[in-house]
Amino acid sequence: MGIDLRIAGVSKHFGEFQALKGIDLDIEQGSFVCLLGPSGCGKTTLLRIIAGFERASAGQLLLNGSDISAVPPHKRDFGMVFQSLALFPHMSVAENIAYGLKFRGVTGVKRDDRVAELLDVISLPAIADRPVSSLSGGQRQRVAIARALAVQPRLFLLDEPLSALDAQLRDAMQIELRQLQQQFGVTTILVTHDQTEAMMLADKLVVMKGGEVCQQGAPQEIYSQPATAFTAQFLGASNILDAIASDQGIVQLFGADTVFSTEEAPGTALKLSVRAENVILDRAPHPSGGPCAEVEFIRNLGASTEILVKNGATTVRVRLSSRDSILRTLAIGERVALQFDPEGCVVFRADAD
Amino acid sequence: MPAHEQTLQSLMRHQSAARVRRWRPDSALWLLCLPALLIITPFLVACLYMLRFSVSADTGSINGFSLQAYAELAQPYFLRSLWLTLKLAASSTVIVLMLAVPLAMVIVTTRSASWRRLMTVVVLLPMILNLLIQSYGWILLLGPAGVINTTLLQLGMVERPLILLFNEKGVLLGLVQTSLPLAVFPLMSSMRAVSQEYLEAASGLGASHWRSFVDITLPLLKPGLIGAGSIVFAFNASAFAVPLLLGGRRVRMLGLAIRDMISPLFNWSGAAAGGMVLILIITLVLVLSTWLVSRSDVRGGS
Ligand SMILES: Nc1ncnc2c1ncn2[C@@H]1O[C@H](COP(=O)(O)OP(=O)(O)O)[C@@H](O)[C@H]1O
Ligand SMILES: [Mg+2]
Repeated sequence: MGIDLRIAGVSKHFGEFQALKGIDLDIEQGSFVCLLGPSGCGKTTLLRIIAGFERASAGQLLLNGSDISAVPPHKRDFGMVFQSLALFPHMSVAENIAYGLKFRGVTGVKRDDRVAELLDVISLPAIADRPVSSLSGGQRQRVAIARALAVQPRLFLLDEPLSALDAQLRDAMQIELRQLQQQFGVTTILVTHDQTEAMMLADKLVVMKGGEVCQQGAPQEIYSQPATAFTAQFLGASNILDAIASDQGIVQLFGADTVFSTEEAPGTALKLSVRAENVILDRAPHPSGGPCAEVEFIRNLGASTEILVKNGATTVRVRLSSRDSILRTLAIGERVALQFDPEGCVVFRADAD
Repeated sequence: MPAHEQTLQSLMRHQSAARVRRWRPDSALWLLCLPALLIITPFLVACLYMLRFSVSADTGSINGFSLQAYAELAQPYFLRSLWLTLKLAASSTVIVLMLAVPLAMVIVTTRSASWRRLMTVVVLLPMILNLLIQSYGWILLLGPAGVINTTLLQLGMVERPLILLFNEKGVLLGLVQTSLPLAVFPLMSSMRAVSQEYLEAASGLGASHWRSFVDITLPLLKPGLIGAGSIVFAFNASAFAVPLLLGGRRVRMLGLAIRDMISPLFNWSGAAAGGMVLILIITLVLVLSTWLVSRSDVRGGS
């Protein structure tokens, strides 16, 4: 697949403040790219620069190789879904969806057919003449998506489109959105701060922090191989633990050796990222030694059980299957040995960002 | 319509019905309205007094009933005055709206708060200054011995002073200037409802600046335009100081015509009838605009 959009060294200053710091990104034809990052990291700013509502302070946007930085938004032929949706309040649903068509010479019967087709696609065939103010949140959402897709955009841009929906509806819409994108085959960039949503939708995940891209790649790859503690935490690793490199090249936690080895010099401060479900609890002391902690909290959630164990000031979150045999006798205050499933664990230098 | 929405709607209907039943302004609220009612009362009494005078059989006192005064208004001098008033009020309204829309847009979209405040004060200034002072300002500027004519004469660009005042154009200029703030302020508040994102969404879909102005800004601004327009029209149709000072004897708008009936002619019933006609016209305009707004609300919803 070819490159559709190349973002080359894009920076953005708002006065003194630098919101984007030299972003480099390739968006492949037909792919679904998610920009993921905490609030204020510059996701919206980057999307608005791509859409043309904001001018980059430096850098280039290359669409199929030609620089579009100076092209005004109404000539870019992109479809954008705003966080606020921005449906035109004085127009009906059909008028909203048809709005972009009149600038593409689609009129009369052809336009009506296209609107009907899109209402079908979003499974809302009967609301064409309703004013947008009478729609529910989910319906508005779909109308905004249909309005952007009606013009068959070169690029489909969405800014946290599902953040206003309740969890259940959001779940359904994510699947629908992904199916729509595949059906239309449109190159898509979606901004979100929700890692589940990003994992659900993306072919390519771009993790951002403080105006920079800190990692990009396939969602599974980033999930299992986060490059930094920040990325690991943002993708749902619940434990980022302070560790240290021992003289023998072993990662030590709570002053005891773990199963992980390291190439860092002895004494280097490390961070061990562990997902709650990748911690294994055993009766202490374990025959092979290893870090220990004290059980502080147990809660059965049905299929899984959440346990907090504590060593000094550090709390480790553990999620066990409720059928785990150790749970039958585990009690608060008991000492347990911690073991780690290497699959879900990553070791970083503490000063790596 | 899904079932849960139906229940929601019927719930909302019930709620508003309940609110209507419950809504009874209590006595304390009435008490608070009393001063305002007291202030309005003399004006209402004066209106009724005028109405009574306008159907008096005698021109100088209230005596018997007759429509004579109204019949006598159907004379060229009054009809000309009426036509002039409608023409000047309507054209000043159109001009004021055309000037006020961009002003309101610029003020509302300016990011710097201090610039916004400065522009607001500049627009507000005419409302603080007395109409008389403003009109004298125009005379100093545009009069036969005013700044512009003196300059042009000294530069030798004209031989005689240009007549910039004491004609319809001078009055129109004065009406536009004095009523501009009346339009800018209501428009600013409706402009705030036109979210920047609507315009961005339109431009993302392919609309040029001009198209998004016509398709999005203007329709959303419509209630504000109608409201501002009717205030300006009412204000300028009943203008007195501006035509008096900037129009001299030559531009007799209704206010002046009515004054002339009273002052040199002592035709009290005629003046009252003329006043009633003016009130009627302004009321019609206000009712029409209210109706237009409520009609556009049906469509706009929310
Ligand atoms: N128009 C603007 N003027 C000044 N600062 C801005 C403007 N837009 C965004 N910012 C700043 O840029 C940073 C990134 O904003 P944004 O792109 O909206 O973040 P995100 O969408 O990731 O939450 C924020 O700190 C925000 O305050
Ligand atoms: Mg944002």
